[in-house]
Amino acid sequence: MTNTLKTFTPLAWRNLWRNPRRTVITLIVVSIGLWSVLFFNSFLNAWMQASKDATLSLLIGQGQIHAPGYLDDPSIEALMPPPSGKLLAALNDPRISNWVARLQLPGVVESEYKTLPINIMGVDPEAEKHISSIPGKVVEGHYLTSTSDAGVVIGLHLAERLKTGLGRRVILMSQNTEGKLSEQSFDVIGLFDADQATEDYYAFTGIKAAQQYVGLKNQIAQIAFAIPVEENLDPVLSKLKQAAPDLDIRSWKELSVYLATSDSFMKGFIYVWLAVVFSLMAIGIVNTQLMAVFERTHEFGLLRALGMKSRRVLLLVTLESTFLIGFGVLLGMLLSGLSIYALSGGIDLSGFAAGLEMAQGGQVLFPKLDPVAFLVFSLLVWLLGILVALWPARRASRLSPVEAMRYAS
Amino acid sequence: MKTPNVTCRGVGKVFGKGELAVKALVDVDLDIMPGDFATLAGPSGSGKTTLLNMVGALDTPTSGEVTIEGQPLGKLNKSELSDLRLNRIGFVFQAYNLIPVLSARENIEFVMELQGIPANERKTRAQQVLAEVGLKGLDNRRPSELSGGQQQRVAIARALVSRPSIVLADEPTANLDSKTTSELVALMYRLNQELGITFLIGTHDPRVMEHSRRHIELLDGRIASDTKI
Ligand SMILES: Nc1ncnc2c1ncn2[C@@H]1O[C@H](COP(=O)(O)OP(=O)(O)OP(=O)(O)O)[C@@H](O)[C@H]1O
Ligand SMILES: [Mg+2]
Repeated sequence: MTNTLKTFTPLAWRNLWRNPRRTVITLIVVSIGLWSVLFFNSFLNAWMQASKDATLSLLIGQGQIHAPGYLDDPSIEALMPPPSGKLLAALNDPRISNWVARLQLPGVVESEYKTLPINIMGVDPEAEKHISSIPGKVVEGHYLTSTSDAGVVIGLHLAERLKTGLGRRVILMSQNTEGKLSEQSFDVIGLFDADQATEDYYAFTGIKAAQQYVGLKNQIAQIAFAIPVEENLDPVLSKLKQAAPDLDIRSWKELSVYLATSDSFMKGFIYVWLAVVFSLMAIGIVNTQLMAVFERTHEFGLLRALGMKSRRVLLLVTLESTFLIGFGVLLGMLLSGLSIYALSGGIDLSGFAAGLEMAQGGQVLFPKLDPVAFLVFSLLVWLLGILVALWPARRASRLSPVEAMRYAS
Repeated sequence: MKTPNVTCRGVGKVFGKGELAVKALVDVDLDIMPGDFATLAGPSGSGKTTLLNMVGALDTPTSGEVTIEGQPLGKLNKSELSDLRLNRIGFVFQAYNLIPVLSARENIEFVMELQGIPANERKTRAQQVLAEVGLKGLDNRRPSELSGGQQQRVAIARALVSRPSIVLADEPTANLDSKTTSELVALMYRLNQELGITFLIGTHDPRVMEHSRRHIELLDGRIASDTKI
């Protein structure tokens, strides 16, 4: 076998260049096809990353802690004290870049025109600035200034629906600790610009002001934390769970099923793309290789007449496609590497920002080369390419020498 | 009594079926003896190529039996027939005999590579046969850089490099001018005389027949005459 390869390798190599035009066409087909897969993959990953970052940095963070039962029924009975002791120590782990405590209460907001459902968010404005992008998204007025700031910051769209605005007052209503409805008017001090769902369903006020308003001392509903390095998520999560076994501690994947699903959907989508591109490539490969075999009919007849066995003809032709597709793959890898590198400084999509906002996409994408995906996709294309090229090769090997020899070159 | 290199006993070949059936060979009996320099002639369509294909283990007869060096071909499978062609039979076809991407020497070495002969031996033997056919120094030329006659010489060199039981040549001079034809036949004849290579040459060409030591005439798939000269 090794001897046969040694004999056939130079022959296969030279045969590749007998019809340079066809060889070049195949190289282009394979390399552009692979490039589209590899480049699209990193583009999609960058887009997923950007949109995930954008969503998580609004409010979710990489994970949250609640009292048990709160997520099922977010009522004032399912609250917890601010973190202390072991949990506080765990939250101050260096892998957690920031964390915040919030009081989130379901309620309604009322203006002269309308009453709408809302989540009343009592926050610590200073801490929020380090973990949430909302303070930075205030486009009219200003964000809250302290924990006891009794102003309210709402979304632009909500203000529009309520027909209210900066400097006007709205009434917030929520159940209080006595099981009655607390009702209090708040000054609208800021309007933020985010995606519509966030704009519609959140109203921010100082956490102390919110606690006071419903008759709480210092209880909170939620701790959100940020873990910048993805690999740290699971270990930190288990550390937190150990520190507070009685609390409900979840990662963003459990908190935002939508985001987790779209994450895996996008990852699946690249395979659909791969299948499409590969089918087109396969047609190209099979066509050119069939043509190459057809043109050399007489020669294959000659080889068989001289005593070359059909499986060696198969090997020879397969070796040719292995080289050919292999070079196409290398070229595609090079092309992808270069184009990803060229764009690694960031692709600014702010021109499409309005469209992306709907999908909560970030505005600047940073395509990265994922070495594992890079190699796996390249290898996959190579092997699949060789596989489809087996068909023309089989044709060549099954030619009858007499018939093939009658076929004049 | 010498044993024949090739025997045909009652060999028949029918192409196609029913109304369209063509009897290309009918009941051919033939012995090719060691050292024969035989020409196979006959009008177009008389069955020359078909008979050479049978003897060369390229095609199987519909009746009768071909035997090479005492080995009945009917008992061999495809792979064994390939090996037989590779090791025991030399072929020279009308044209396009060579692998275009290989040089003269590489074309000859290629068959030896298939035979599993080690590299150093391949090289010396290829150079030796190239010298025998008068192509010394043209080792590294590709077929496209050789004249038609030179290409046929390379094919002859390749055919005889493994000292086959028989060299089969089907119209080897059909594409050559008369001077080149004469030189090529003279070469084959010399190889026959000096090295004892057995030849069976299918041809129309009187210049080829000039050197013939045995002349076989086919007519409608039957042997019409078989004369020693
Ligand atoms: N594959 C085939 N299928 C059908 N008929 C065939 C086939 N090969 C040969 N024949 C027929 O068999 C007969 C003998 O053909 P063959 O090629 O052996 O003749 P030939 O003597 O070599 O002729 P030429 O001098 O033209 O080369 C012819 O009638 C031919 O048409
Ligand atoms: Mg013929």
